[in-house]
Amino acid sequence: MSGVEQVRFTEQRLSEINAVVKKYPAARSALLPVLHMAQKDFGYLSMEVQQLVADTLNLRLMMVREVVTFYTMFREQPTGKYLMEVCTNAGCMLNGANELVEHITKTLGIKVGGTTPDGMFTVTEVECAGACGGAPVVQINNEYHEKVDAAYMDAFITKVNASAEGDQA
Amino acid sequence: MISSDPKQVKAICFDRVHLEGQTGLEIARKNGAYKFLPTVLKDFDGEKIIDEVKKSGLRGRGGAGFPTGLKWSFVPRNTGRPTYLLCNADEGEPGTFKDRDIMRFDPHLLIEGMLMAGFALGVKDAYIYIRGEFLHEAQVLDAAIEEAYAANLLGENILGTDFSMNLTVHRGAGAYICGEETALIESLEGRPGRPRFKPPFPAVEGFYRCPTVVNNVETLATIPAILEFGGEWHAAIGVPNNTGMKIFSVSGHVNKPGNYEVPMGTSLKTLIEEYCGGLQHGTLPKVIIPGGSSTPWLTAEHYDTPLTYDAMMKAGSMLGSGAIIVMDETADVIALTRRLAHFYAHESCGQCTPCREGTGWLERVMNRVEAGQGCEDDLCVLSDAATHMAGRTICALADGAAAPILSLLKHFPDEVRARLMEKAA
Amino acid sequence: MTTLFINDEEITVSAGTSILEACREHGADVPYFCYHPELSVAANCRMCLVEVEGWNKPAASCCTPVGEGMKVTTQSDALSKDREMMMEYLLIHHPLDCPVCDQGGACKLQDYTMEHGAKHGRYAEAKRAVIDHDLGPFVSTCMTRCIHCTRCVRFADEVAGTGDMGVLNRSDHMRIEGIVEEALESELSGNLADICPVGALLDRPSHDITRPWEVTRHKSTCTQCPQGCDIVIESRGDEVIRIKADVDGVEPWICDRGRYVHDAFRAEERILKPAIREKSGFVEVSWDESIEAVVDLLKGKRVGIVFSPDWSVEGLASIRLLHDTVFQDAKVAFDLHRRDMRVFVFEEGFSMSSAQIADADQVVILGSDLRQRLPILMQGLRKRSNEGKPVIRIGAMNYRTNSELSADALIRPRDWVAVIARAMQQLKDLGKTAAGMDAWLEKVEVRHEAGKLLADALLSDSCALLVGEEIRSHIDAAVLIHGLDLMMRAAGHAEAGSDGRNLIPEGMNTQLLSAAFGDIRASVGDLFDAANDGDLDALLLIGSDPLGDGLFSMQAKRAMGKVPLVQVGAIMGEVSEFADVILPAAAYSEVEGTFINMEGRIRMAEHPLCTIGEERPLWKVMMRMIQGFGKDVPVVDLLELRTRIEGFLPEMAAAWSTDDHDLCLSVARNRDADSISDGIEPAMSLDVVSRYSMYREGVWVRASSYLVEAGSIHALDDVLVHPNTLQAAGLNVGVCKVRTASGDFDYHIGVREDVAEGVLFIAKRGIAGDLSCEVMASLGGGQ
Ligand SMILES: Cc1cc2nc3c(=O)[nH]c(=O)nc-3n(C[C@H](O)[C@H](O)[C@H](O)COP(=O)(O)O)c2cc1C
Ligand code: SF4
Ligand code: FES
Repeated sequence: MSGVEQVRFTEQRLSEINAVVKKYPAARSALLPVLHMAQKDFGYLSMEVQQLVADTLNLRLMMVREVVTFYTMFREQPTGKYLMEVCTNAGCMLNGANELVEHITKTLGIKVGGTTPDGMFTVTEVECAGACGGAPVVQINNEYHEKVDAAYMDAFITKVNASAEGDQA
Repeated sequence: MISSDPKQVKAICFDRVHLEGQTGLEIARKNGAYKFLPTVLKDFDGEKIIDEVKKSGLRGRGGAGFPTGLKWSFVPRNTGRPTYLLCNADEGEPGTFKDRDIMRFDPHLLIEGMLMAGFALGVKDAYIYIRGEFLHEAQVLDAAIEEAYAANLLGENILGTDFSMNLTVHRGAGAYICGEETALIESLEGRPGRPRFKPPFPAVEGFYRCPTVVNNVETLATIPAILEFGGEWHAAIGVPNNTGMKIFSVSGHVNKPGNYEVPMGTSLKTLIEEYCGGLQHGTLPKVIIPGGSSTPWLTAEHYDTPLTYDAMMKAGSMLGSGAIIVMDETADVIALTRRLAHFYAHESCGQCTPCREGTGWLERVMNRVEAGQGCEDDLCVLSDAATHMAGRTICALADGAAAPILSLLKHFPDEVRARLMEKAA
Repeated sequence: MTTLFINDEEITVSAGTSILEACREHGADVPYFCYHPELSVAANCRMCLVEVEGWNKPAASCCTPVGEGMKVTTQSDALSKDREMMMEYLLIHHPLDCPVCDQGGACKLQDYTMEHGAKHGRYAEAKRAVIDHDLGPFVSTCMTRCIHCTRCVRFADEVAGTGDMGVLNRSDHMRIEGIVEEALESELSGNLADICPVGALLDRPSHDITRPWEVTRHKSTCTQCPQGCDIVIESRGDEVIRIKADVDGVEPWICDRGRYVHDAFRAEERILKPAIREKSGFVEVSWDESIEAVVDLLKGKRVGIVFSPDWSVEGLASIRLLHDTVFQDAKVAFDLHRRDMRVFVFEEGFSMSSAQIADADQVVILGSDLRQRLPILMQGLRKRSNEGKPVIRIGAMNYRTNSELSADALIRPRDWVAVIARAMQQLKDLGKTAAGMDAWLEKVEVRHEAGKLLADALLSDSCALLVGEEIRSHIDAAVLIHGLDLMMRAAGHAEAGSDGRNLIPEGMNTQLLSAAFGDIRASVGDLFDAANDGDLDALLLIGSDPLGDGLFSMQAKRAMGKVPLVQVGAIMGEVSEFADVILPAAAYSEVEGTFINMEGRIRMAEHPLCTIGEERPLWKVMMRMIQGFGKDVPVVDLLELRTRIEGFLPEMAAAWSTDDHDLCLSVARNRDADSISDGIEPAMSLDVVSRYSMYREGVWVRASSYLVEAGSIHALDDVLVHPNTLQAAGLNVGVCKVRTASGDFDYHIGVREDVAEGVLFIAKRGIAGDLSCEVMASLGGGQ
């Protein structure tokens, strides 16, 4: 997104938003769903996007700000193409999540919370993903990967990098 | 198939989860989904349903264990305002992962349970508040709901009766606190999930200040069986005051972690050894957290405790959501406590002074203690800061945050002291 | 009612009261931060814990309702420990900067730390620092000190109605933030510093100036608008440091105008010494010399007197004494917004208290920018709207109210008569009538649909009409007010006890003005025209600034250029450029005196600030002048003066002899003033309406640098019209020609949907202010 370009929803999105709003007693209930949509459309929730959401739902910007900053899944900064969220809470920790995080960050050469220079991977630690039976759990772009180990992650990273190189070629 | 003989019942919520294609309406119906619904809509009324649920002895599976029938009976009738039914599918309590399996493997069971609850309470609009990370589960539910609408199981004049109900899946966005029912309501109203003080209770003033019932997924998924086989049938499963089956999410140092639905009253030891393949190392657990990370710890001493609300209470803990985290002798309990302290500091909604400041304080002290840079005074600080946040806040998160700290200090003071010494060494 | 025990004492409170409120009512001390009697309950500070017998944990008393037979304990060892811990939690991130904090000495956190805190904090980890933000010209922030009680957020939401403050993040990263541009929008922003229990939100103008224990507090009455709020003026020596709402007063808040006007008390524009004009400019002289000069100028002359209604009752009465002893034939005028001098059926002032208005079934605002005009009354209506009670408005401009109106109609001033006729017709058709209604109605042919809103409201059990400046300054005001009066009588809203007729006045003390000047007052416009036409020889201005305020600046300027001018007042202003003699009169903060607000509420200022120059209370200046003209001085002290006043307004006797703070005067009624429409068609296509800005109107305001700054932030375009109006005239946004009865002028015209079609809205004084004197206009192409 270039800075000057005005952010706006597509017509189709707007009609989806209208449909969502109708499901609730008041439009403000649609704020979370619409923020999810906006994040999907624009990658992250910049101030312009937050203003757009406020205008679309006829809410004050402050209400949108409060919500965006409260929920961890809403991001005000861009992330890498693959967002890897490693659960390090109790169940996963007891099954090697900390070691896994260390392995991934070392492999990618970044810190927790960081993004690889090629913009491909971001690694974060998250709270209990609600899948402790499959510990350790890694969500990659909101898809659950369970009973993950170092080899699994290596394979994943290798595959992504290979296809990226393929794209460039 | 669920047996009508309570002694023979193997599963209620998980009865169909293993069946292939169960998320599709056609197969679900073949396996008994919505079979009893027409009878309920035709022959039952709100009073009768609430009566059966009361008789069943069903207690909320979300954590607090509040009798479900009693909760429903608090909802005022004829207020002139709508009554809402909200399904709590936030499943954020560390260690809990049971609701996810119901939703992703048998969404129609939950829909049917909500229809029956909604019918009992005169609900026109119901919502499933699902944690934002469960994108796949939300999609499964959405697809199931769409099929249900198409089959006139949802929407206007369901199955040709006067009863109409809409059902909407609403995704959260990453906040453990939104599992607390009033925070859930705030969140569903498009606000940060900061719990409301009570009274007023949601049953009287909830979603948009209208009467509202909030129930856990598992609670609602139990309703169809209770209505089909009767409250007494359900009451005969398990033990008195702790009736029915219960799903336990077992994780940590066990060989076969996973969800197990067993009759209430099964002992901890039986569950772990017979169902979960025992501990990874050794024979006796070092710590068992019986009801999710917010519940006080038990040790080997309580290995035989029956899995009931009452027995757990007696043992000094709580059954909570049935999330059992097991640690064997290899566990670093200080590291675990530090990690949980981080969790609560991260998840406090921030409004209550003791929780906002206390959780951060506890985490920072635990960071030092774990790193071997603690001092004797820290023990007193940890104990004071934890004790005075519990029970003094709007919601129970602060109690949950205090539990691991107080448990650590209670069961492993020597281990903590030894860690303090490391700095000197 | 509920009976319970607090510390073993049996007490009875109304059901649903919180334990904290029950404790407060009965003097049991319970500490708290987040609770505020005027705001919703948040229950987040957890400081207000008490014990309830039989409960297994302490209860937050602010959010726990009392129960029958409940046994509450507010002091115990366990509670002391809890409070000590609460303080420790709060202080872990709080900076230790009390010595440099403005709040020090008046800080709840500091007080409770002394009372409930431990000797030492045990927190040894890193402290949180929070960035500050800009909340406008009146509030500065030090957010690291914030304790997250959210009072400010609730204030912005519930009271100011701007909702521009919020809580960002969660856990101990949680912080309060304001969105700058919008924070400025609140005319109540100064209250933020008062409600913040710690030193996070601070009063910017008094920042770093003083410590709470250095100031002296003077109870007084604000005269910046007819609301006449109870205020406390805080001074150090003779210097006013700030003005606050009086916590024992009627209203919990005051507006920024009344609060920040105080720098005008010491402004350069203050008149502190008598002066006379020489060729080189003003020369300060002694009182005797100045009085001599006044006598030279005015003796034996035909004099016009224009004064401000905001002087104390005593000051105003002394003007009448001057008139009666020296200038018996003089024309006297004071209302700078009134064109129609025919008697109004109900005179200026309110028949209801603000509380009664808030409780009425229906409230209808007729032609008023209430948020600018009476910000505190508007706040009450906002509160009422929040509770879901209706507030209706009819008028020429969709003035921002920061709250949802239940119904709203935009009309042109010329439509008023048709609006009223439409409403009256509806009442009549329902068989509700009053003597004289048919005669009134007969003269009006047209009907305007907006009248339905009015009629529907009138049909409720209680209805408050707030008649504003658009009607009061109308050329046919008397007819309109008569029409409204007829309807109120027909609908049963004119009886004692349920009288809903309220006319928003020009300023303070209207009840006295009607009583003391009813027989001699003239129109300000006429008076200036007379001077211009050679029918007056000199002007005496007493506190009034017709060049800066009101509708007649053009006439005033012409007249002042023609005849000599004597100015008595506290602030110079533009009129001083025309003055030949200037006499200093004391500011309202500097006098012992009586004030009456729009509701008729009487207040006496008893402990004034010291004067800072040679200024004297107005009544003494008047007596001095009388003496100068060689007449016997009618009164020599306040007591005698007050006896005279009782001659005009006998009800005042009671006020001066009791301590009753709720005493109210009733509004003057003129039952036989039956003005009827003469049905003349307006000659031009547009009606002129001029904006009232609380940051620009009034001599004190223009001398206050804080308010001038705020005014520049709140500026609008010079002249505004509805886009359709411009389109109908075939014009575009930009410079256009405004044709009026007094000539053609070029102005920059902007558009705004908020303006009624067919209205020329004069938004900015000073540039387009001269147009205010016009009633009608039309538009043509620019140069
Ligand atoms: C901090 C906190 C988190 C909670 N999280 C959940 C949750 O994730 N899922 C849930 O069903 N209940 C959760 N609860 C319990 C709910 O507040 C509520 O008691 C429950 O949803 C009621 O449903 P039930 O009666 O069917 O158990 C939580 C409570 C607290 C205090
Ligand atoms: S206890 Fe914690 S999470 Fe619960 S309401 Fe208070 S601050 Fe929020
Ligand atoms: S005053 Fe009760 S919690 Fe703040």
